[in-house]
Amino acid sequence: MSNNYFNSLSLREQLEQLGKCRFMHLAEFTDGVAALKGKKMVVIGCGAQGLNQGLNLRDSGLDVSYTLRAEAIADKRQSWKNATENGFTVGTYEELIPTADVVLNLTPDKQHTAVVNAVMPLMKKGACLSYSHGFNIVEEGMKVRDDLTVIMVAPKCPGSEVRAEYVRGFGVPTLIAVHEDNDPNGEGLALAKAYAVGTGGHKAGVLMSSFIAEVKSDLMGEQTILCGMLQTGSLLCFDKMIEEGIDAGYASKLIQYGWETVTEALKYGGVTNMMDRLSNPAKIKAFDLAEEMKDIMRPLYNKHQDDIMTGKFSETMMADWANDDKELLGWRADTAESAYEKTAAADVEISEQEYFDNGILMVAMVKAGVELAFETMTSAGIIADSAYYESLHETPLIANTIARKKLYEMNSTISDTAEYGCYLYNHACVPLLGDFMKNIKSDVIGAGMQLNHTGVDNARLIEVNEAIRSHPVEAIGATLRGHMSDMKKIV
Amino acid sequence: MPLTASISLKNVTVEFDQGFICNKINWTIQPDQHWLVCGSNGSGKSALAAILTGAGDIESGVIRGLPRRIGVVSFEAQSELIEAERRKDDADIMDVIAEGTPVAEIISAVCKDQSLADELCQKFGLVPLLDRAFRKLSTGETRKVMLIRALTCNPQLLILDEPFEGLDVDSLSALQQHLAAVSESIPVVIVLNRLDQCPDFITHVAYVNDGELTHQVKRADTEAYQQLHQLLHLKTADLSIPPADPDTSIPALDPAQPLVRVTGAAIRYGDVVIFDQLDWTINAGQHWQLSGPNGSGKTALLSLITGDHPQCYVNDIFVFGFIRGSGESIWQIKQFIGYVSTALQWEYTVGTNLRNVIISGFYDSIGLYSKYTDHQRDIADQWLAVLGMESRADQPFTSQSYGDQRLLLIARAMVKHPPLLILDEPCLGLDDMNRQRVLALIELICQRSTTTVLYVNHHADDKISGIEHYLALENNHPV
Repeated sequence: MSNNYFNSLSLREQLEQLGKCRFMHLAEFTDGVAALKGKKMVVIGCGAQGLNQGLNLRDSGLDVSYTLRAEAIADKRQSWKNATENGFTVGTYEELIPTADVVLNLTPDKQHTAVVNAVMPLMKKGACLSYSHGFNIVEEGMKVRDDLTVIMVAPKCPGSEVRAEYVRGFGVPTLIAVHEDNDPNGEGLALAKAYAVGTGGHKAGVLMSSFIAEVKSDLMGEQTILCGMLQTGSLLCFDKMIEEGIDAGYASKLIQYGWETVTEALKYGGVTNMMDRLSNPAKIKAFDLAEEMKDIMRPLYNKHQDDIMTGKFSETMMADWANDDKELLGWRADTAESAYEKTAAADVEISEQEYFDNGILMVAMVKAGVELAFETMTSAGIIADSAYYESLHETPLIANTIARKKLYEMNSTISDTAEYGCYLYNHACVPLLGDFMKNIKSDVIGAGMQLNHTGVDNARLIEVNEAIRSHPVEAIGATLRGHMSDMKKIV
Repeated sequence: MPLTASISLKNVTVEFDQGFICNKINWTIQPDQHWLVCGSNGSGKSALAAILTGAGDIESGVIRGLPRRIGVVSFEAQSELIEAERRKDDADIMDVIAEGTPVAEIISAVCKDQSLADELCQKFGLVPLLDRAFRKLSTGETRKVMLIRALTCNPQLLILDEPFEGLDVDSLSALQQHLAAVSESIPVVIVLNRLDQCPDFITHVAYVNDGELTHQVKRADTEAYQQLHQLLHLKTADLSIPPADPDTSIPALDPAQPLVRVTGAAIRYGDVVIFDQLDWTINAGQHWQLSGPNGSGKTALLSLITGDHPQCYVNDIFVFGFIRGSGESIWQIKQFIGYVSTALQWEYTVGTNLRNVIISGFYDSIGLYSKYTDHQRDIADQWLAVLGMESRADQPFTSQSYGDQRLLLIARAMVKHPPLLILDEPCLGLDDMNRQRVLALIELICQRSTTTVLYVNHHADDKISGIEHYLALENNHPV
């Protein structure tokens, strides 16, 4: 039944859609929530995203109610409790959808086809259907009724943060898009902007993108650098440390919290700042390791991007959905059996700086993964802004999940598309880096370089710094982080 | 096993996070002594007591004789436990709403004497809450849980930082009786802001100033004790309120309408009714005091008015010209309100400086996300001068002492001269001197015709002279 929408477009149209991504100016939101004022918004699903977005929209003066499946209401399930305890009207699809001016589909991707097929016949003429992810439209080729407007509003943070930031008087960065085939009245952009204002997103920065750019960049980022590289890196680094005689509990802790610590530096000042946290000899070492890994892994990143573009990836994954997630659940179970996953973090103190000093290889892996994902996306026609958000910007979020949950739970909590894709990556990348890892010793992972003097050659240091700072991800990163801090006065 | 040898600190210098230092402390606690530690906000009195719990890095000197099991109660320990519970909440990544650890488990995790725990739960009225999630408790209730943990861990030493704060009258007297009894076998160190609450069993008083233990006084030495009392009661200098900002004016309200009218209000969680059938009208210029025991729904009632409680949309609430749920935004409501509470202080964890915290009051935000005017900056600086903090304008808010943070948040609430100022236990955690300053400031505000004050407190002695209307919540009903 699936009918890849992207593949139905001409190359010209594909490139045009992929190239859409623009940071919107605050002045573009002066109409506030006016476009949604007095309209009836009905949310499908009341998990963390559904509930918290609804709370924000209501506090912005909008009319919000929730629709759940009849069983969820009859059994008074958690989603029903979430909505009713917060004073929202709850009703079945049949009761509420026909009254809705805007339907907010905030269910998981996998349910989209069933949900949209169920609600579409009930929606009134000229209403709006909103998504928070474009997979259903782009990869599954969902055809939405011609009279309906289709938009996407995707806050780039977990639901609880969407609420917490709103209550503070701020918001979270948000991506919006209009599905141009479904914008019969030309009101899609106005609705998406008002929705973003209603959740507070306009204060933190809104990116105007397209369904296609969102899907193709999101899939690429999540399966390579974000979930894939951190997973592969965790397994390889742990096994190497054990081989080198590092205490297993220490190794486990260095990895579990190391990604979070080094990518925190990335969040504030890009790859440059992350590398600057290393001593000069360590920085040069990390640079060389990253260059070597980039050469080895480049064909793999290209393959992932190619499979995403052609639709081969989503086809393979949807076949597994149809097969009750057999592959996915099997691979997930394997993660639980890895030596890293089974070794608890020791109760030893590791200082913030020590995570850098003893995790040189991890820093190199983050650098290689971020730069490769960015390079691959931009060379495939995705604009630099999108590529930045889906690579560097989100890496600290996944690293934070590993710090709290390690790999098995990380895999269980990320989206189903991210999880399936990152297993494919991991299965290919571990053997690919096999020969490279043979030459790795504890000086770059586990023990630190332990140098008596930290002198380096001036010319070489200048060369390395220049190469780090002149990478294109650093230029766009500086610009976008600049926008953010203009808005959020972090003083 | 009771403590037999003394605890001694010899020339001890301890550095805490944020660079605060307790300098060259010499202090001996004999097994039969009970100490009261006092000092102004930010003096380091809590830090001194915290040294005994192993907090901070010892730079020099020697500590001897610390027992293994110490029962600790403090705002810091309380907020640490709440923070730990919050970290356990994976709702954000699991996409489920987590409940958190139940109270009974929080207690049993450290309890060595279950029958004592049962008895104290009874006396503190915690029995109906044992199955509730710890982080859903009110401020006063979490405090009681902390006390029970400290008292039932079979301690050899008790360190209680402001143990009486936020307790209702019944729980307070139960605690005082219990402490009087245990003080016969265990040395007790109490940090207190009010000397008038000093329990009878206290034998010694320590006065801390600027990180140094400057006075050690025997309780029996009446003259020295009196001097110390005066030192703490330093009368405040002339206080005047900085002006409002003419450029960010709040829309005018219809003088014929009340500020707030709540009709037949109820708050329910599942089958549990916090209160119902509550009618309340607040007219402009009528200052109100709201009281009631822990958990009676005082804060919930306030949050119906401020719009922070989601059930405000299913109640009949009229505020500042809006019937709630008629298409108004929360920011249209908040512009009329200045608000201070302990919960706000716990939520105000964003990294920003003192001046910006005060300016954020103009925007009703936690943290500052808007470009402010020079005029607003001037007003904020005037407030800092009133608080005696002008030299610290650029320091991080989160590195200030608990009491100083509270004073700043009160200034933040008052900065825009709101039509309604809500002060939810504004003196909780403040020392005598700052309490006097805050109360004087509130009285000044009460005398102004433009701001109506709604004041919530436990302490009967914190009376405000301008307040003439009272609402008490008890047994789920107004009385």
